[in-house]
Amino acid sequence: MRHKKIEKLLSDNIDGELSEKKKKALETHLRNCASCSSYAENIQRIHKEAKSLEKLEASPVRWEEFTSRIKAEIFSAKQEKLRGITLFLRWKWAWAGAALSFVIVAGLFLYLTQNKTPQEPYVFSFESSLARIYQEIGSDQELEELFNSVICASIGETFEDSGWGERPDFYENLILWEDLTEEEMRFLESEIKKDNKL
Amino acid sequence: MADFADDHLVRLAKQGDVDAFTELVRRFQEKIYHTILALTRNQQDAYDLAQETFMHAYKSLRNFKQRSTFYTWIYRIAVNLTLNFLKKRKSEEKREIHVEDCSLDLKSAASTLSPEGHSITKELSEKLKEAIDSLPLTYKVSFVLVVSQGLTHTQAANVLCCSENTISWRMHKARKMLQQRLRPYLEGE
Repeated sequence: MRHKKIEKLLSDNIDGELSEKKKKALETHLRNCASCSSYAENIQRIHKEAKSLEKLEASPVRWEEFTSRIKAEIFSAKQEKLRGITLFLRWKWAWAGAALSFVIVAGLFLYLTQNKTPQEPYVFSFESSLARIYQEIGSDQELEELFNSVICASIGETFEDSGWGERPDFYENLILWEDLTEEEMRFLESEIKKDNKL
Repeated sequence: MADFADDHLVRLAKQGDVDAFTELVRRFQEKIYHTILALTRNQQDAYDLAQETFMHAYKSLRNFKQRSTFYTWIYRIAVNLTLNFLKKRKSEEKREIHVEDCSLDLKSAASTLSPEGHSITKELSEKLKEAIDSLPLTYKVSFVLVVSQGLTHTQAANVLCCSENTISWRMHKARKMLQQRLRPYLEGE
Protein backbone atom coordinates (compact mmCIF):
# COMPACT_ATOMS: atom_id res chain seq x y z
CA MET A 1 0.00 0.00 0.00
CA ARG A 2 1.15 3.51 -0.68
CA HIS A 3 2.19 5.71 2.26
CA LYS A 4 -0.42 8.40 1.48
CA LYS A 5 -3.17 5.82 1.64
CA ILE A 6 -1.73 4.48 4.89
CA GLU A 7 -1.83 7.97 6.42
CA LYS A 8 -5.55 8.22 5.61
CA LEU A 9 -6.17 4.76 7.11
CA LEU A 10 -4.27 5.78 10.24
CA SER A 11 -6.56 8.76 10.68
CA ASP A 12 -9.69 6.60 10.25
CA ASN A 13 -8.23 4.07 12.69
CA ILE A 14 -7.78 6.68 15.44
CA ASP A 15 -11.44 7.65 15.04
CA GLY A 16 -12.47 3.98 15.26
CA GLU A 17 -13.81 3.97 11.72
CA LEU A 18 -11.68 1.19 10.23
CA SER A 19 -12.84 -2.33 9.39
CA GLU A 20 -10.97 -5.33 10.86
CA LYS A 21 -9.64 -6.29 7.46
CA LYS A 22 -8.13 -2.88 6.83
CA LYS A 23 -6.81 -2.75 10.37
CA LYS A 24 -4.80 -5.92 9.77
CA ALA A 25 -3.39 -4.61 6.52
CA LEU A 26 -2.42 -1.43 8.31
CA GLU A 27 -0.63 -3.26 11.11
CA THR A 28 1.31 -5.31 8.60
CA HIS A 29 2.45 -2.16 6.81
CA LEU A 30 3.42 -0.40 10.04
CA ARG A 31 5.68 -3.30 11.09
CA ASN A 32 7.78 -2.76 8.01
CA CYS A 33 7.61 1.03 7.55
CA ALA A 34 9.47 3.35 9.94
CA SER A 35 8.18 6.61 8.45
CA CYS A 36 4.51 5.55 8.68
CA SER A 37 5.07 4.29 12.24
CA SER A 38 6.53 7.65 13.19
CA TYR A 39 3.60 9.45 11.57
CA ALA A 40 1.20 7.14 13.44
CA GLU A 41 2.85 8.00 16.77
CA ASN A 42 2.71 11.73 16.06
CA ILE A 43 -0.96 11.88 15.11
CA GLN A 44 -1.84 9.61 18.04
CA ARG A 45 -0.14 12.05 20.39
CA ILE A 46 -1.86 15.03 18.80
CA HIS A 47 -5.19 13.23 19.23
CA LYS A 48 -4.53 12.58 22.92
CA GLU A 49 -3.40 16.17 23.55
CA ALA A 50 -6.35 17.64 21.71
CA LYS A 51 -8.78 15.50 23.70
CA SER A 52 -7.35 16.61 27.05
CA LEU A 53 -7.12 20.20 25.87
CA GLU A 54 -10.88 20.60 25.68
CA LYS A 55 -11.72 19.34 29.16
CA LEU A 56 -12.32 22.77 30.63
CA GLU A 57 -14.24 22.79 33.85
CA ALA A 58 -17.19 25.02 34.56
CA SER A 59 -18.73 25.18 38.03
CA PRO A 60 -22.22 23.70 38.54
CA VAL A 61 -23.50 27.07 39.79
CA ARG A 62 -22.68 28.52 36.46
CA TRP A 63 -24.75 25.86 34.67
CA GLU A 64 -27.73 26.50 36.90
CA GLU A 65 -27.35 30.18 36.10
CA PHE A 66 -27.13 29.34 32.40
CA THR A 67 -30.36 27.30 32.50
CA SER A 68 -32.14 30.01 34.50
CA ARG A 69 -31.09 32.66 32.01
CA ILE A 70 -32.43 30.60 29.11
CA LYS A 71 -35.70 30.09 30.98
CA ALA A 72 -35.96 33.81 31.71
CA GLU A 73 -35.29 34.64 28.07
CA ILE A 74 -37.97 32.20 26.94
CA PHE A 75 -40.52 33.83 29.26
CA SER A 76 -39.46 37.25 28.06
CA ALA A 77 -39.86 36.12 24.41
CA LYS A 78 -43.30 34.71 25.25
CA GLN A 79 -44.33 37.98 26.92
CA GLU A 80 -43.11 39.91 23.91
CA LYS A 81 -45.21 37.72 21.64
CA LEU A 82 -48.27 38.14 23.87
CA ARG A 83 -47.75 41.89 23.94
CA GLY A 84 -47.67 41.89 20.14
CA ILE A 85 -50.91 39.90 19.96
CA THR A 86 -52.62 42.16 22.54
CA LEU A 87 -51.54 45.23 20.64
CA PHE A 88 -52.90 43.75 17.43
CA LEU A 89 -56.22 42.89 19.07
CA ARG A 90 -56.48 46.36 20.62
CA TRP A 91 -56.13 47.92 17.21
CA LYS A 92 -58.21 45.30 15.43
CA TRP A 93 -60.93 47.79 14.36
CA ALA A 94 -58.32 50.11 12.96
CA TRP A 95 -56.68 47.23 11.04
CA ALA A 96 -60.09 46.03 9.81
CA GLY A 97 -61.03 49.57 8.72
CA ALA A 98 -57.76 50.04 6.90
CA ALA A 99 -58.14 46.68 5.15
CA LEU A 100 -61.74 47.50 4.13
CA SER A 101 -60.74 50.93 2.79
CA PHE A 102 -57.99 49.34 0.80
CA VAL A 103 -60.36 46.76 -0.69
CA ILE A 104 -62.89 49.49 -1.64
CA VAL A 105 -60.25 51.72 -3.24
CA ALA A 106 -58.70 48.79 -5.11
CA GLY A 107 -62.14 47.62 -6.28
CA LEU A 108 -63.10 51.08 -7.53
CA PHE A 109 -59.82 51.46 -9.31
CA LEU A 110 -60.22 48.12 -11.06
CA TYR A 111 -63.85 48.85 -11.95
CA LEU A 112 -63.09 52.24 -13.42
CA THR A 113 -60.03 51.17 -15.37
CA GLN A 114 -61.59 48.00 -16.80
CA ASN A 115 -64.97 49.49 -17.83
CA LYS A 116 -63.50 52.35 -19.81
CA THR A 117 -64.65 52.04 -23.45
CA PRO A 118 -61.71 51.99 -25.77
CA GLN A 119 -61.27 55.16 -27.82
CA GLU A 120 -61.76 54.81 -31.54
CA PRO A 121 -58.65 55.68 -33.49
CA TYR A 122 -58.87 59.02 -35.28
CA VAL A 123 -59.45 58.71 -39.01
CA PHE A 124 -59.40 61.80 -41.12
CA SER A 125 -62.59 62.37 -43.02
CA PHE A 126 -62.87 65.31 -45.34
CA GLU A 127 -66.69 65.35 -45.21
CA SER A 128 -66.96 65.21 -41.44
CA SER A 129 -64.26 67.89 -41.04
CA LEU A 130 -66.17 70.18 -43.36
CA ALA A 131 -69.44 69.46 -41.58
CA ARG A 132 -67.80 70.36 -38.25
CA ILE A 133 -66.49 73.63 -39.71
CA TYR A 134 -69.94 74.58 -40.99
CA GLN A 135 -71.38 73.70 -37.63
CA GLU A 136 -68.86 76.02 -35.96
CA ILE A 137 -69.56 78.83 -38.39
CA GLY A 138 -73.29 78.30 -37.85
CA SER A 139 -75.56 80.94 -39.25
CA ASP A 140 -72.91 83.65 -39.41
CA GLN A 141 -73.14 84.50 -43.12
CA GLU A 142 -70.21 86.91 -43.09
CA LEU A 143 -67.93 84.29 -41.59
CA GLU A 144 -69.19 81.70 -44.08
CA GLU A 145 -68.37 83.94 -47.02
CA LEU A 146 -64.93 84.67 -45.64
CA PHE A 147 -64.26 80.98 -45.16
CA ASN A 148 -65.39 80.15 -48.67
CA SER A 149 -63.17 82.82 -50.19
CA VAL A 150 -60.15 81.52 -48.26
CA ILE A 151 -60.88 77.97 -49.33
CA CYS A 152 -61.41 79.02 -52.94
CA ALA A 153 -58.11 80.89 -52.95
CA SER A 154 -56.36 77.88 -51.47
CA ILE A 155 -57.90 75.47 -54.00
CA GLY A 156 -57.08 77.83 -56.84
CA GLU A 157 -53.43 77.93 -55.77
CA THR A 158 -53.37 74.17 -55.55
CA PHE A 159 -54.74 73.82 -59.05
CA GLU A 160 -52.24 76.34 -60.41
CA ASP A 161 -49.31 74.52 -58.78
CA SER A 162 -50.41 71.14 -60.04
CA GLY A 163 -50.66 72.33 -63.61
CA TRP A 164 -54.35 71.48 -63.91
CA GLY A 165 -54.88 74.95 -65.18
CA GLU A 166 -56.99 77.83 -63.98
CA ARG A 167 -60.66 77.45 -63.24
CA PRO A 168 -62.05 81.02 -63.40
CA ASP A 169 -65.53 79.94 -62.49
CA PHE A 170 -64.15 78.43 -59.40
CA TYR A 171 -64.03 81.66 -57.40
CA GLU A 172 -67.50 82.75 -58.43
CA ASN A 173 -69.20 79.54 -57.45
CA LEU A 174 -69.82 79.47 -53.75
CA ILE A 175 -71.13 75.94 -53.72
CA LEU A 176 -67.93 74.74 -55.22
CA TRP A 177 -67.96 71.22 -53.79
CA GLU A 178 -70.84 70.18 -55.97
CA ASP A 179 -68.85 71.10 -59.07
CA LEU A 180 -65.83 69.01 -58.23
CA THR A 181 -65.44 65.58 -59.78
CA GLU A 182 -64.72 62.51 -57.67
CA GLU A 183 -61.08 62.58 -58.84
CA GLU A 184 -60.68 66.25 -57.90
CA MET A 185 -62.15 65.59 -54.48
CA ARG A 186 -59.62 62.78 -53.85
CA PHE A 187 -56.77 64.98 -55.00
CA LEU A 188 -57.88 67.78 -52.70
CA GLU A 189 -58.18 65.41 -49.78
CA SER A 190 -54.68 64.07 -50.34
CA GLU A 191 -53.25 67.60 -50.60
CA ILE A 192 -54.93 68.74 -47.38
CA LYS A 193 -53.64 65.62 -45.62
CA LYS A 194 -50.15 66.36 -46.90
CA ASP A 195 -50.27 69.97 -45.71
CA ASN A 196 -51.49 68.98 -42.28
CA LYS A 197 -49.01 66.10 -42.08
CA LEU A 198 -51.73 63.53 -41.49
CA MET B 1 -38.84 15.20 33.34
CA ALA B 2 -35.38 13.77 33.88
CA ASP B 3 -36.57 10.27 32.86
CA PHE B 4 -38.18 11.36 29.61
CA ALA B 5 -36.53 10.60 26.28
CA ASP B 6 -35.31 13.52 24.18
CA ASP B 7 -38.02 12.97 21.55
CA HIS B 8 -40.77 13.11 24.14
CA LEU B 9 -39.34 16.29 25.64
CA VAL B 10 -39.20 17.83 22.18
CA ARG B 11 -42.87 17.01 21.62
CA LEU B 12 -43.80 18.57 24.97
CA ALA B 13 -41.67 21.64 24.27
CA LYS B 14 -43.38 22.03 20.91
CA GLN B 15 -46.70 22.19 22.77
CA GLY B 16 -45.32 25.07 24.83
CA ASP B 17 -43.94 23.23 27.85
CA VAL B 18 -41.05 25.44 28.97
CA ASP B 19 -39.90 22.96 31.62
CA ALA B 20 -39.49 20.27 28.96
CA PHE B 21 -37.31 22.59 26.92
CA THR B 22 -35.32 23.57 30.03
CA GLU B 23 -34.64 19.87 30.62
CA LEU B 24 -33.28 19.60 27.06
CA VAL B 25 -31.07 22.61 27.75
CA ARG B 26 -29.79 20.94 30.91
CA ARG B 27 -28.92 17.79 28.97
CA PHE B 28 -26.98 19.43 26.17
CA GLN B 29 -25.69 22.73 27.55
CA GLU B 30 -22.26 21.45 28.55
CA LYS B 31 -21.62 19.60 25.29
CA ILE B 32 -22.76 22.56 23.23
CA TYR B 33 -20.76 24.99 25.32
CA HIS B 34 -17.55 22.93 25.08
CA THR B 35 -17.93 22.47 21.33
CA ILE B 36 -18.32 26.21 20.87
CA LEU B 37 -15.47 26.89 23.29
CA ALA B 38 -13.19 24.56 21.32
CA LEU B 39 -13.97 26.58 18.22
CA THR B 40 -13.93 30.09 19.64
CA ARG B 41 -11.31 29.70 22.43
CA ASN B 42 -13.12 32.34 24.41
CA GLN B 43 -15.33 31.52 27.40
CA GLN B 44 -17.57 34.56 27.17
CA ASP B 45 -18.13 34.10 23.45
CA ALA B 46 -18.85 30.40 24.02
CA TYR B 47 -21.29 31.23 26.81
CA ASP B 48 -23.13 33.81 24.70
CA LEU B 49 -23.19 31.61 21.61
CA ALA B 50 -24.47 28.64 23.62
CA GLN B 51 -27.32 30.80 24.89
CA GLU B 52 -28.01 32.04 21.39
CA THR B 53 -28.06 28.43 20.19
CA PHE B 54 -30.75 27.39 22.67
CA MET B 55 -32.84 30.51 22.09
CA HIS B 56 -32.61 29.95 18.34
CA ALA B 57 -33.61 26.31 18.87
CA TYR B 58 -36.60 27.34 21.02
CA LYS B 59 -37.83 29.82 18.44
CA SER B 60 -37.36 27.31 15.56
CA LEU B 61 -38.80 24.34 17.43
CA ARG B 62 -41.96 24.39 15.32
CA ASN B 63 -39.87 23.91 12.18
CA PHE B 64 -38.01 20.94 13.65
CA LYS B 65 -39.55 17.93 11.88
CA GLN B 66 -37.69 15.41 14.05
CA ARG B 67 -36.19 13.62 11.05
CA SER B 68 -32.88 13.78 12.91
CA THR B 69 -32.32 13.59 16.65
CA PHE B 70 -32.55 16.72 18.80
CA TYR B 71 -28.88 16.17 19.60
CA THR B 72 -27.85 16.45 15.91
CA TRP B 73 -30.20 19.36 15.32
CA ILE B 74 -28.94 21.44 18.25
CA TYR B 75 -25.33 20.69 17.29
CA ARG B 76 -26.05 21.88 13.76
CA ILE B 77 -27.48 25.16 15.07
CA ALA B 78 -24.51 25.64 17.40
CA VAL B 79 -21.95 24.93 14.66
CA ASN B 80 -23.67 27.22 12.14
CA LEU B 81 -23.93 30.09 14.61
CA THR B 82 -20.31 29.62 15.66
CA LEU B 83 -19.08 29.47 12.07
CA ASN B 84 -20.90 32.71 11.29
CA PHE B 85 -19.41 34.26 14.39
CA LEU B 86 -15.89 33.10 13.50
CA LYS B 87 -16.20 34.40 9.97
CA LYS B 88 -17.12 37.80 11.37
CA ARG B 89 -14.28 37.66 13.86
CA LYS B 90 -11.73 36.51 11.30
CA SER B 91 -10.47 40.00 10.69
CA GLU B 92 -10.14 40.71 14.38
CA GLU B 93 -7.09 39.77 16.37
CA LYS B 94 -6.98 36.40 17.98
CA ARG B 95 -8.00 36.71 21.55
CA GLU B 96 -6.47 34.75 24.36
CA ILE B 97 -8.61 32.29 26.17
CA HIS B 98 -9.61 33.62 29.58
CA VAL B 99 -9.68 30.52 31.65
CA GLU B 100 -8.51 30.82 35.22
CA ASP B 101 -7.38 27.23 35.51
CA CYS B 102 -6.15 25.13 32.70
CA SER B 103 -7.59 21.67 32.14
CA LEU B 104 -7.62 19.64 35.33
CA ASP B 105 -6.52 16.59 33.38
CA LEU B 106 -3.59 18.45 31.94
CA LYS B 107 -2.63 19.64 35.40
CA SER B 108 -2.75 16.22 36.95
CA ALA B 109 -0.89 14.65 34.05
CA ALA B 110 1.75 17.35 34.07
CA SER B 111 2.27 17.10 37.83
CA THR B 112 3.81 13.66 37.41
CA LEU B 113 6.33 14.95 34.91
CA SER B 114 9.66 16.55 35.58
CA PRO B 115 9.84 20.41 35.38
CA GLU B 116 11.28 19.99 31.89
CA GLY B 117 8.55 17.58 30.89
CA HIS B 118 5.96 19.95 32.36
CA SER B 119 7.11 22.85 30.21
CA ILE B 120 7.26 20.69 27.09
CA THR B 121 3.70 19.46 27.65
CA LYS B 122 2.50 23.01 28.29
CA GLU B 123 4.30 24.30 25.24
CA LEU B 124 2.87 21.52 23.08
CA SER B 125 -0.66 22.19 24.29
CA GLU B 126 -0.27 25.92 23.62
CA LYS B 127 1.13 25.23 20.16
CA LEU B 128 -1.61 22.69 19.54
CA LYS B 129 -4.28 25.32 20.33
CA GLU B 130 -2.63 27.69 17.90
CA ALA B 131 -2.29 24.99 15.25
CA ILE B 132 -5.97 23.97 15.60
CA ASP B 133 -6.99 27.63 15.36
CA SER B 134 -5.00 28.03 12.17
CA LEU B 135 -6.79 25.15 10.43
CA PRO B 136 -9.29 26.03 7.70
CA LEU B 137 -12.74 26.41 9.32
CA THR B 138 -14.31 23.29 7.83
CA TYR B 139 -11.35 21.14 8.95
CA LYS B 140 -11.35 22.78 12.37
CA VAL B 141 -15.06 22.10 12.93
CA SER B 142 -14.73 18.47 11.83
CA PHE B 143 -11.69 18.00 14.06
CA VAL B 144 -13.40 19.53 17.10
CA LEU B 145 -16.58 17.51 16.65
CA VAL B 146 -14.78 14.19 16.19
CA VAL B 147 -11.81 14.58 18.54
CA SER B 148 -13.04 16.88 21.28
CA GLN B 149 -16.69 15.90 21.30
CA GLY B 150 -16.19 12.26 20.38
CA LEU B 151 -18.71 12.25 17.54
CA THR B 152 -18.49 9.43 15.02
CA HIS B 153 -17.92 10.29 11.37
CA THR B 154 -21.61 9.59 10.71
CA GLN B 155 -22.77 11.93 13.49
CA ALA B 156 -20.37 14.68 12.41
CA ALA B 157 -21.54 14.24 8.81
CA ASN B 158 -25.16 14.69 9.95
CA VAL B 159 -24.30 17.84 11.89
CA LEU B 160 -22.29 19.37 9.06
CA CYS B 161 -24.65 18.15 6.33
CA CYS B 162 -21.98 16.35 4.33
CA SER B 163 -20.92 12.76 3.60
CA GLU B 164 -18.96 10.49 5.93
CA ASN B 165 -16.20 10.33 3.31
CA THR B 166 -15.88 14.11 3.47
CA ILE B 167 -15.47 13.96 7.25
CA SER B 168 -12.91 11.16 6.93
CA TRP B 169 -10.95 13.15 4.36
CA ARG B 170 -11.10 16.37 6.40
CA MET B 171 -9.88 14.51 9.51
CA HIS B 172 -6.95 13.09 7.59
CA LYS B 173 -6.02 16.48 6.13
CA ALA B 174 -6.42 18.23 9.50
CA ARG B 175 -4.15 15.69 11.21
CA LYS B 176 -1.56 15.97 8.48
CA MET B 177 -1.52 19.77 8.79
CA LEU B 178 -1.29 19.61 12.58
CA GLN B 179 1.50 17.06 12.40
CA GLN B 180 3.48 19.25 10.01
CA ARG B 181 3.05 22.34 12.18
CA LEU B 182 3.84 20.57 15.47
CA ARG B 183 6.67 18.33 14.29
CA PRO B 184 9.41 20.30 16.13
CA TYR B 185 7.48 20.03 19.41
CA LEU B 186 6.58 16.39 18.92
CA GLU B 187 10.15 15.40 18.23
CA GLY B 188 11.56 17.62 21.00
CA GLU B 189 10.35 15.42 23.81
